Amino acid sequence: MKKSNKDYRLREVKCATGFNWSNLKAELRAIWESNIKAWKLDFAYPVSFVRQLISPVVFMLPFLLYGLALIGGRYSENLAQLVGTGDVVAFIFTGYIMMGFIGTAVWAMGFSMRREQWFGTLEAIYVTPASRLGQILGMALHSTVHQGIGTIIQFIFIYVTFGLVLNIGGILPALGIFALMLFALYGFGIVISALSLILKEGWIVSDIFYSIMTILSPVAYPLIVLPTLAQQASAIFPTAPALIGMRSFLIEDYIPEVVGNVFLHLLVLGAVWILFGVFVFHLADRYVRKRGMLKKF
Amino acid sequence: MMESVYQQSALRSNLFVVWNELIKNMKFLMAYPIIFVFWAVFPIFWFIPFIFQGQAFVGGLQSASFGQITGTEEFIPFIVIGSVLNSYVNTLLYGMGESIRREALQGTLDYVLVAPTNKVYVLIGKALSESLSSTMFAASQLAISALLFGMNLTLGVMLPVFLIVILLILGLYGLSLVLAAFSLLYKQSHDVSETIGYVFYVFSPVRYPLESLPFWAQIFGKIIPLTYALIIVRSIMLLGASLSSLYFEVLALLAIDAVLIFAGFYMFNWMENKAKKSGAISHY
Repeated sequence: MKKSNKDYRLREVKCATGFNWSNLKAELRAIWESNIKAWKLDFAYPVSFVRQLISPVVFMLPFLLYGLALIGGRYSENLAQLVGTGDVVAFIFTGYIMMGFIGTAVWAMGFSMRREQWFGTLEAIYVTPASRLGQILGMALHSTVHQGIGTIIQFIFIYVTFGLVLNIGGILPALGIFALMLFALYGFGIVISALSLILKEGWIVSDIFYSIMTILSPVAYPLIVLPTLAQQASAIFPTAPALIGMRSFLIEDYIPEVVGNVFLHLLVLGAVWILFGVFVFHLADRYVRKRGMLKKF
Repeated sequence: MMESVYQQSALRSNLFVVWNELIKNMKFLMAYPIIFVFWAVFPIFWFIPFIFQGQAFVGGLQSASFGQITGTEEFIPFIVIGSVLNSYVNTLLYGMGESIRREALQGTLDYVLVAPTNKVYVLIGKALSESLSSTMFAASQLAISALLFGMNLTLGVMLPVFLIVILLILGLYGLSLVLAAFSLLYKQSHDVSETIGYVFYVFSPVRYPLESLPFWAQIFGKIIPLTYALIIVRSIMLLGASLSSLYFEVLALLAIDAVLIFAGFYMFNWMENKAKKSGAISHY
């Protein structure tokens, strides 16, 4: 029996389009699934997963032990003169928790597209009826939770080994600042992922940005010790105002090295970086598709 | 007579393998000039935060407390030497382990393994190219650091340092062979390399003196070749010690090298046979 044209017709899938609730729900679902996929990949390599969880401790230890060796204890007179507090353990810990989240933006988000290319799934993702940014935001969600677990391990390690005196009442406002910083970092991560679409050896770009942000962020030292130009440049990245704001709430007697409204600063940075990130990503996306660069390594 | 000619020809063939492996890897490196420039310059940015940290904590470029532990109050040269020697760990450990994996990804591993030559010479060629590139990167970083921070780099100082670097490279060869063996059979040696890199970074005096660690960690640190290399090089460059006065550390480094190289070759031969028997060579 011959089949009619109707029998051969492909199954129609209705996709929500435009700016409406059902489309938003579909996009959120895509972000969630991208996050779940990243977790599944993580659990497929348990050794790598565990190693990544302890890496925040491994990379913070040199800053701590070096600092303690320099001053022969945990109290620095000079640091106290600069920022009001001399407790180097609290100062470094509150600074270093940020480092992993810089890595989240630069490496995890920045490389999410490149990773799909290595797996050979980038083209499949490109033809799905969902925003390509969903892939990056899914990765952002995954790596933020992943890094959050690493930070909790870091906190427990420091608390047990060195003892940590933090202002408990300042945790909530510090978390608010942290959330604002994350938005701006996500924008930055979108820029890096756009660059990694164009530049095939994008890890170098990521490493350069990571190193520059590390130097310009007051992680293990106050901004005052940087040259004036570097201090001014640090204002365009969210980590510097966020660290200053968080320390103001978390560390007793801390005197912020830059006076200003941290919340407003971070709100502006968040909006600018996200808009700039989305704009750059759309440009890069069109550029690579026009030139047929998706398949190139 | 015939036997002697045969031996000469075999030696020439083996050297030919080593030389061509070296040339091939250097061509790969030069094909990506941006990567070359990156490794030659950028690791300096990784230790700059430690210099600013030192300035913030002690208010200058010298620390009396640091001097009591290390013998030198100047923390910048201490950090620079630690970073430059640690860059050998980064490039050799990851480079060698990944070089076998790279052959598999490029689809050339099968050909390399069935070639009528002893694989040890292929590995020696790979190791030599990694050492050469690492030394170029380290020399560049050291030269830039000397210009920026003013360090003493006379020939009298650098010759014994160069000897110690060779001994460090030999020890790292041994470890790299173990990693290459792992990647033959288990493919993803990357995690093992990273974990060993972490152990070196934490338990060796790369960024801080060994005495800053708890006692048990100091003992563990003393079985790592990088620890002795750092102690010797810093003693020569920063404290003006002679190589003969550091004979214990040199002997310890030699002993660790011998153990690691023996273990490396043994593991590689064992894993190669196992991989051939299991047919896992062409797996990814």
